[in-house]
Amino acid sequence: MELFDNLALGFSVAFSFQNLMYALLGCMLGTLIGVLPGIGPVATIAMLLPITFHLPPVASLIMLAGIYYGASYGGSTTSILVNLPGEAASVVTCLDGYQMARKGRAGAALSISAVGSFFAGTVGTLIIVMFAEPLTRMAQKFGPADYCALMALGLVAAVVLASGSVVKAIAMVFLGLLFGLVGTDVNTGAQRFTFDLPELSDGIDFAPIAMGLFGIAEIVVNLERHLTRTGSIKVGSLWPTREETRRSVPAILRGTMLGAALGVLPGGGPTLGAFSAYTLEKKLSKNPGEFGKGAVEGVAAPEAANNAAAQTSFIPMLTLGIPSNAVMALMVGAMIIQGIQPGPEVMTKKPDLFWGMIASMWIGNAMLVVINLPMIGMWVKLLTVPYRFLAPAILLFCCIGAYSLQNSTFHVIQVACFGVLGYIFSRLGCEGAPFLLGLVLGPQMEEYFRRAMLLSRGDAMVFLERPISLGLLITTALLLVLMALPSIKKARKEAFQEEG
Amino acid sequence: MLARAFGPNDTWKTARTGEASLNRFLSKDFLSGLMFIGFGLVALYFGQKLALGTTVRMGPGYVPRMLALIMMGLGLLICVVALVAGSEPVEKPKWKPITLVTIGVICFALLFERAGLLPALIVLIAIASFAGSEFKLKEVIANMVVLAIVCTLVFKVGLGMNITILRGVW
Repeated sequence: MELFDNLALGFSVAFSFQNLMYALLGCMLGTLIGVLPGIGPVATIAMLLPITFHLPPVASLIMLAGIYYGASYGGSTTSILVNLPGEAASVVTCLDGYQMARKGRAGAALSISAVGSFFAGTVGTLIIVMFAEPLTRMAQKFGPADYCALMALGLVAAVVLASGSVVKAIAMVFLGLLFGLVGTDVNTGAQRFTFDLPELSDGIDFAPIAMGLFGIAEIVVNLERHLTRTGSIKVGSLWPTREETRRSVPAILRGTMLGAALGVLPGGGPTLGAFSAYTLEKKLSKNPGEFGKGAVEGVAAPEAANNAAAQTSFIPMLTLGIPSNAVMALMVGAMIIQGIQPGPEVMTKKPDLFWGMIASMWIGNAMLVVINLPMIGMWVKLLTVPYRFLAPAILLFCCIGAYSLQNSTFHVIQVACFGVLGYIFSRLGCEGAPFLLGLVLGPQMEEYFRRAMLLSRGDAMVFLERPISLGLLITTALLLVLMALPSIKKARKEAFQEEG
Repeated sequence: MLARAFGPNDTWKTARTGEASLNRFLSKDFLSGLMFIGFGLVALYFGQKLALGTTVRMGPGYVPRMLALIMMGLGLLICVVALVAGSEPVEKPKWKPITLVTIGVICFALLFERAGLLPALIVLIAIASFAGSEFKLKEVIANMVVLAIVCTLVFKVGLGMNITILRGVW
């Protein structure tokens, strides 16, 4: 039973006192920032990246995973209590969660969402354990051309599922790829786009870009919107009624299945899972009219799907090194900074890291239920702190965090520059996620492309001659063609309209 | 305010009337297309000295130039589509928050090593607080005091980071 050996190894790593503390700390910090209105998981992880860099690799990834779960959990809390979703995935939670809160059932909504998320997280973790090995073995057969094609597929799939214009998102991928090339060229040692700044010769650091694009830009957009909260927040009893339990159990099961399946797809992830689960529940329900007015299934299913998908979206990242969404791109960036190249080698060369991280995912999920439900009162208090205090404080922590990366104020200046760029992106309706994916994959993709061309003696046909690469490229092309079809275009537009 | 006056669907209609024809160029898509072309030009200009190499042995300039050209093509496509089919107008930007936040962060960067954490913190919090809609001096000062204590305790004492609180003093 290799599977159990692996899990045992994972738990022995994750259960060390030090790693447990980092998982706990990550969950707490993630919730702390994630519960602030208008700040989603991507911004939270981006802002908290610097504190994990000085830890050993295993601990830092465990902490980052904890931050992610904490931030998602914090996002559902704000969605339910004050109707302010921090990310697209929790928009659906708002629909019925906030209505439940208005009926005085906020406590029940919160605990159902927490328990549902925990169950979904457990199933998701098990799926990762089962799929990790076969997928990794498959990935080891990949040559440079195949990898290049796989990355192209990953990037395009991520773009298709992003809201907004496909062409714009693809252009953002290219812009990200270009930014990823800044620095010293690995093959020739030539300086590219460094403008004679020695700080740029190792490339633009990933953390300041993420902090600027997502952290600073998000703060500025929130400042413009004048976030105000009205009314007092009442949580009420955390215990769901018997009726609520009876209705939410099957919803959680269905949400988990759907979310777990959709999360594995390249480009899939929590948002897609949550939206599909909500639609499914509405279709299956005997009285769909209740949805949007506080139906408990409308909270239970998307929350479970959201978390199951969040979990299974680790699969392509851990086994193939392909991030499927912005959060996974941040994880890849963090791994590269720790000196780990994500991909099939991680599992074979660093089994303690791989299985330890997976085990700690489950522990992180468990911690959230145990810690956060009793502490809900504290998070509610935090929600009532006015934004005019929070915004400067968050900015200050971002600045100090950016400085601490390499004890250099150059990073702080970079954060400011990318903040401006992020603001321009958001004003022009260009999404940051495809940019980030391009940025993370850029250097590797160039490397594989050049190696493939070198091996084939400059013949670009190599991408079409290898069966794996050909298959992947055909899928990519199909996806692009599908997107151009008018009927699909319309359906996609409608799907994302519900979101806004 | 011009852009705000028309809903997304009105862009096409108003674009024909002379007065608002500028609107067509101030759409989100047209401007983002321009942005991609602009970045492409920058990449081409600063990458012109990088050797292209051959397809077998690519030089450092090959991939960047390829990417820049494709991106410019996409940018052009976005611009043309935006002009022909119309697109959402950009919201009039509010300059205050983005400008003040950026200035605040840059001031922090400039002061942090030269003068220490405390002066950098005071300047950043003051400027960032101005960026919001409400500014009450008492609150801002209270915020500064609390954050100064928290930062000193967490970063200097707790994490033992090598930072100067006030140059020449601590």
